[in-house]
Amino acid sequence: MVKIYSVSVLLAQPSSPSTVLATASDLSQFSFYQKGSVGEFMGFLSRTVAERTPQGQRQSVQENNYVAHVYNRGGAEQLAAVIITDQEYPVRPAFSILTKVLDDFITKVPQSSFSTPSAINFTEIQTYVSKYQDPKQADTIMRIQQELDETKIVLHKTIESVLERGEKLDNLVDRSNALSAQSKMFYKTAKKQNSCCIIM
Amino acid sequence: MPVQDRTNEFLTCVDSIISRSSVPSRRDAKQRLLQNGKSATKSEFSRMASGIGKEISSTNLKLGKLSQLAKRKTLFDDRPVEISELTFIIKQDLAGLNKQIATLQAYVKQKKAQGAKTDDAKQIDEHNKNVVTLLQSKLADTSVAFQEVLEVRTQNMKESKDRTEQFMYTASSAAQQAPSNSVLFNPRGDPMGDGSPSRFDSKRPQNGDMLALNLEAAEEGAGSQNGGAFMQMQMVEQQDSYIQSRSTAIESIESTIAELGQIFMQLANMVAEQGETVQRIDADSHDIAANVSGAQRELLKYYASISSNRWLMLKIFGVLIVCFLVFILVS
Repeated sequence: MVKIYSVSVLLAQPSSPSTVLATASDLSQFSFYQKGSVGEFMGFLSRTVAERTPQGQRQSVQENNYVAHVYNRGGAEQLAAVIITDQEYPVRPAFSILTKVLDDFITKVPQSSFSTPSAINFTEIQTYVSKYQDPKQADTIMRIQQELDETKIVLHKTIESVLERGEKLDNLVDRSNALSAQSKMFYKTAKKQNSCCIIM
Repeated sequence: MPVQDRTNEFLTCVDSIISRSSVPSRRDAKQRLLQNGKSATKSEFSRMASGIGKEISSTNLKLGKLSQLAKRKTLFDDRPVEISELTFIIKQDLAGLNKQIATLQAYVKQKKAQGAKTDDAKQIDEHNKNVVTLLQSKLADTSVAFQEVLEVRTQNMKESKDRTEQFMYTASSAAQQAPSNSVLFNPRGDPMGDGSPSRFDSKRPQNGDMLALNLEAAEEGAGSQNGGAFMQMQMVEQQDSYIQSRSTAIESIESTIAELGQIFMQLANMVAEQGETVQRIDADSHDIAANVSGAQRELLKYYASISSNRWLMLKIFGVLIVCFLVFILVS
């Protein structure tokens, strides 16, 4: 079952340890007592993985049955995004989610507030976790593929119905041929009646 | 050769002066000893220096050959084996020369430490230092030229790879290019860049050591120009796998769209065929309508004629009654 556990945006400078700027997680699967420790573990994993990824690189790290995908964008803001999912979540949409999160973050949060993580208000990150539980939603390519597949199915049905139409039309052609012959006979007979039996 | 061995001339001059003057023989002996010693050391020093000079010149020749080979820009006739062999040989020569110059320097220092405080010794010492400096500068020039040749070689290799890519593109060649660019071009500034500014420092051994170290760095950089560090390869592969997966997904979308296009074409064909059938049916139904309406007309006419034809009916009935009467009369 494909699932996202958490998404975080971190400030990853090459020399210093990384700091979490914004994070959101969906730990509804775990029991109440486990949530705290699992949340901490995910935070630690995000920070460690972000620190160990060089700038401009994407990486996927597997830890027990979680997979962390990290994209360290570097650039002027030195940001990195980490998404922790289960093992079934497809890799490519995970990275496209990370790119989207980073772009969104950069447009919405000014760089000056990077030093005070608590002041950053990036609520959209929660929508990322909730909305993109279904990888098809996240990735445009997958959505396009899905729509194309549906369209293909519809077209197949259309072709079948067109074949049926063809059969019916053949049927109609035969019948109209027969009817035409009969009506001709009918006409001839009627005409013959008029011309033949003058006496009666 | 930096040093000309004119000790024999000097000895003959000294002999002649001695024979002319009345200096005690002890001093002669002392002088001679000194001279002999010096000539021995000088000749030893000069031997070493001349050996080093010869090797430097031979290395320069080899370097010239290598630069010729590296400048060739052909796509296929590259002779990489020769070039790599020559590179290796030149590297070894440079390392060896470096070591020899280092030993020469140590020798000079040793001589200076032991050396007598006479003017001659000082001059000789100065001369030795200059000779060593000259050799070092020559070696540095050779190394710089070697580095440049390697750069030219990597440039040409890159160009030839681009050209082969134009003909046969593979993603792996794209992956290999990045490491060769980054690994080789990073230490490019370092080897001679660090050595050259401080070349004429007072601390010569450090200079020599730096030269040796930088040469090693150049060796590493030059040797791995084809392979690239593993870490960087893996990183690039990671990048590549993401990009490749995207490209495969997009290719599948493209193929799906092409299939959809074909399906639409088939659909259009089938509908066109069925259109012909429909036209036949249409024509038939027209005929039917015409026939049936004609028949109806006839029947109407008939009916009209029948219903309006009383005189005929009377006549027909009259004829029937006449026949009937005739039959009854006959029978």
